[in-house]
Amino acid sequence: METLKLSALPEQSKQQPINHGRFEAYVDNGGTVMAVAGKDYCVIAGDTRMSDGGYGIQTRHYTKVFQLTNKCVLATSGMQADTIALQKRLKLMLETYQKEHGKPMSTPAIAQFLSNTLYYKRFFPYYTFNLVAGVDEKGEGWIWTYDAVGSHERVKYSSQGSGNQLVIPLLDNQVAKRNQQIIQGNGDVSCDQVVSFVKDAITSAGERDIYTGDFADIVVVDKDGVRWEKFELKLD
Amino acid sequence: MFLTRSEYDRGVNTFSPEGRLFQVEYALEAIKLGIGVQCEEGVVLAVEKRLTSPLLEPSSIQKVVEIDYHLICALSGLTADSRTIIDHARIETQNHRFNYDEPMGVESCVQSICDLALRFGENRSSGEERMSRPFGVALLIAGVDEKGPSLYYSDPSGTFTQFNAKAIGAGSEGAQTTLQEKYSKTLTLQECQKLALTTLKQVMEEAITTTNVEIAVITKAEGKFKIYDKEELAAVIATLTE
Repeated sequence: METLKLSALPEQSKQQPINHGRFEAYVDNGGTVMAVAGKDYCVIAGDTRMSDGGYGIQTRHYTKVFQLTNKCVLATSGMQADTIALQKRLKLMLETYQKEHGKPMSTPAIAQFLSNTLYYKRFFPYYTFNLVAGVDEKGEGWIWTYDAVGSHERVKYSSQGSGNQLVIPLLDNQVAKRNQQIIQGNGDVSCDQVVSFVKDAITSAGERDIYTGDFADIVVVDKDGVRWEKFELKLD
Repeated sequence: MFLTRSEYDRGVNTFSPEGRLFQVEYALEAIKLGIGVQCEEGVVLAVEKRLTSPLLEPSSIQKVVEIDYHLICALSGLTADSRTIIDHARIETQNHRFNYDEPMGVESCVQSICDLALRFGENRSSGEERMSRPFGVALLIAGVDEKGPSLYYSDPSGTFTQFNAKAIGAGSEGAQTTLQEKYSKTLTLQECQKLALTTLKQVMEEAITTTNVEIAVITKAEGKFKIYDKEELAAVIATLTE
């Protein structure tokens, strides 16, 4: 009878946890939005590119400007899914308000309400950077600019998103008349002039920022309501 | 009125065969006098304070209360019940300011009060505030908003109606007739004040003094209410005898 050739039991290797990819709740879909308020109007511009967070483009036709009332629009950059969730929530609440109070929500009321809505998600925020633009009860144009958790400020012009840094010095110079040696006139600009330089600004952002491009929505809000225009940017 | 009440007047969840809720109707009986008159410039509220004893401290009875800067309310009936209502209305108006950075509309506020007035019954679940009977208090709510000044009346059944001039409580039928005869939309605030007070005087048993009436006005121009103090009351009462 042959003897059994036994050897020692193999050493149990230490069990390792299986490595799954970590769940990422957020992605930055890029894009630039800006808004300028005049005496009795607002001009809002936002590009329509949606990037995948890197070099890819998911769509060239994702509009970032959302009409809230006929006196007020919301322009949002950041994450597309959160943007849509926020837009749906605001739309629902605006309709509820209309039914409860028998009037549409005023632009300043919307501004306060958006801040609260963002703050209620303080510890799992909507990844959105917003501009509320519109005319108030007196017909005056105003912009409210936000961070992701609801800090806000009422201003005359602002921009948000991936092209923010490229656009803001231009607006400082053209709207606030900063760093100009000679200032002509009283500083008031017409709606058409604003539309013109807002187009220049977003075109320039499209030249330098890879997340901005394709097309731009140019929106004007005044006493007659909200008007929209499509403007071409470079597709590269 | 209450011929067939016997079997149906216990619960608030059972209608009588004629389709009435007796508990609610009893609550409507528990109301004392108040008058409100509205005009272009603003609204006047005048209420009688029944001083049951000369030893009673008049300032301890308050029948016109603040809801918000732009909203006031005259109470009539079981004043203790009104505390729940006023608390609720104050919270609602402050919540509105918090949410929307604007004062609440008058009608919206009245609506929220009336929503509360309906939350009574026997089969309430445990989390809710318990109220087994309807509120025994009627309210005149005066306020200004972007639509201008307005006056609302809400009763224990949770119904509300808007009025130009309204008398509520004991002896209100006579007072309402007087208001109907004398009211016109062109009245000034001064005239409204006088109308409210003369009407009140007619139905009151005692003579009007600075201690047994309370007047409050709310004007469109200021958008803020004012409850009259003793001197101001004396000045208004003096105009009555002219």
